[in-house]
Amino acid sequence: MNATPGHAPVKSIMPKWVRNPQEFVGGIALMAIAVFALWASSDLQGMRGFSFGAGTAPRMFGFLLLGLGALITVVGIFTEGPHLAKYHWRGPFFVTVAILTFAFTIRTMGMIFAAMAAFLIAACGSPETRWTETLIVAVCLTAFCALLFPYALGLPLQLLPTFMIR
Amino acid sequence: MGDIFSNLGLGFSVVFQFVQWTPAFLGGVSIPIPVNILLCLIGALVGTLVGVLPGIGTIATVAMLLPITFGLPPVGALIMLAGIYYGAQYGGSTTSILVNIPGEAGSVVTALDGFQMAKKGRAGPALAIAAIGSFFAGCVATVLIALLGAPLTRVALAFGPAEYFSLMVLGLIFAVVLAKGSVLKAIAMIVLGLLLSMVGSDIETGASRMAFNIPELADGLGFATLAMGLFGFAEIIRNLDAGGETDRKLVQEKVSGLMPTRRDLKETAPAILRGTVLGSILGILPGGGAVIASFAAYTLEKKVAKDPSKFGHGEIRGVAAPESANNAAAQTSFIPLLTLGIPPNAVMALMVGAMTIHGIVPGPQVMQKQPDLVWGMIASMWVGNLMLLIINLPLVGIWVRLLRVPYRLMFPSIVVFCCIGIYSVNNAPTDVMIAGAFGLVGYWLIKHDFEPAPLLLGMVLGPLMEENLRRALLISRGDWSVFVTRPLSAVLMAIAATLLILAVLPSLRKKRDEVFVESEN
Repeated sequence: MNATPGHAPVKSIMPKWVRNPQEFVGGIALMAIAVFALWASSDLQGMRGFSFGAGTAPRMFGFLLLGLGALITVVGIFTEGPHLAKYHWRGPFFVTVAILTFAFTIRTMGMIFAAMAAFLIAACGSPETRWTETLIVAVCLTAFCALLFPYALGLPLQLLPTFMIR
Repeated sequence: MGDIFSNLGLGFSVVFQFVQWTPAFLGGVSIPIPVNILLCLIGALVGTLVGVLPGIGTIATVAMLLPITFGLPPVGALIMLAGIYYGAQYGGSTTSILVNIPGEAGSVVTALDGFQMAKKGRAGPALAIAAIGSFFAGCVATVLIALLGAPLTRVALAFGPAEYFSLMVLGLIFAVVLAKGSVLKAIAMIVLGLLLSMVGSDIETGASRMAFNIPELADGLGFATLAMGLFGFAEIIRNLDAGGETDRKLVQEKVSGLMPTRRDLKETAPAILRGTVLGSILGILPGGGAVIASFAAYTLEKKVAKDPSKFGHGEIRGVAAPESANNAAAQTSFIPLLTLGIPPNAVMALMVGAMTIHGIVPGPQVMQKQPDLVWGMIASMWVGNLMLLIINLPLVGIWVRLLRVPYRLMFPSIVVFCCIGIYSVNNAPTDVMIAGAFGLVGYWLIKHDFEPAPLLLGMVLGPLMEENLRRALLISRGDWSVFVTRPLSAVLMAIAATLLILAVLPSLRKKRDEVFVESEN
């Protein structure tokens, strides 16, 4: 899990006094998550006498995360570190769209359609994709999964679209 | 002593269990099938198959293959998962030797000398010695697990909630200290995992926590869902960034002459022994386990060698020692899981997830109530190692061919496979979306140098920690000092605090980083 932080002299949007933007932004994000969790668990009951309520543990961990996030942010101000890593939009975008497509079509269209669609959309995520071979592999993989999951593993998966079964 | 033999005997009888199969087309003739051995074999094969694919680490492999074990009975499922784990580990070392792409952190060191050996046309002996070393380490570790299993379980049964809580704190601290990278960030990740584990209904009051009235969140975030998002999807996205086709120089020389020479064996024997001992010890400690074990074994070999300059240029001991240590640690890391019910690393956390799905709550009670499960799994480890030795050497050719599969075809396949896998857990499309979201979260984490592995560990330990914390405080009537007044708990807490302080001290930090850095250069 070695991420390679971008060394390119990207024009930093960070103010100058932030010397380690990676940590700075990371810490702030963690604090944001902690605040969100604290807000989300604010309706839960706290301590009742000496026994925990439903909200005690979430709040405890929330405050702990808030503190740790703050600490990381402070570290980000006072230590030297790499610039913000460069994000690419293409890979994450198409993979996410593929996953969403699968999630939205699996119930109505069945596994064969959902798997094919997800495969082809995900394939757009790489500029190296060649369509003939991609299509062949997509068909083979879908066929393999259609045999593996419902038959070999006995999992209840609907293969065909609902309108075709009726 | 007799205990151990009878226990191992039980284990082997589970593994070698035959089930009568009476197919209709044979007209009533039944054939005995060794189901568990077959599952172990399939697991090891599939694990290696996926583990060999570049860019997919052990955790991702186990997470991805988790759903295919759901339909099996618990014993079979766990045996298969264990097989997948070893297979994936071995697959990782194969890629690091042949392509210089370590699939996971643990096999980074194997790549140093292994790839150099492969370049000299000695890929065969390198792969063979890795398998032989792993097998030897596996045998020793199996015996060790059998030896330590029963006594540790007895200790664990004497634990109260306060001790349990302290033990988990110690485990998490160990995990942070032994892992690579920033201690502070790793702790933050654990706490984030703990926080995520709070989503869902409260164990005692049943109140819905942070679920926002989404029905799929009412039972909490699915463990398999999170793991596949954080490791499966996130790694795919990250690899796409890097450009999947870069630096995949495959060794073009034919892999011939598999067997190591007599001299090789003589040279590596002590290295394998040292690696095994080191790995076994480090594996039991919660934390990095396999990763730190292989780094430490390599460093040790370099220190004891007469001519350390040979390391990094195809020294066979530089392959044998870390591989043995790696495997020994991978197996002994089952000890805390099986006896105490505490997963020491992310892969073991996944095993807990699998057990929970099968309705088994890991811990000392399992050892007593379902001895066939525990001992069957332990015996299957040995069998699994034997299988790796037998199947992998003849199949090296196939693995090499697999390495040539271009990434552009591989990654959509993995996306689809993961989607179907996640969906099949609960037949819930929402789970797939949640996994996708965590894929993006994981990508962000990797970009900011946050390790997702501690997060997973926190996520698994969260409910356990909360339950024990609540109980301990209920028993002590709200007195927080129970953690330091009960002697056993106090000792555990003291060790945890000392470790944490040592880890933050600059001088020790440098030493710790050195172990990782020295081997990398």
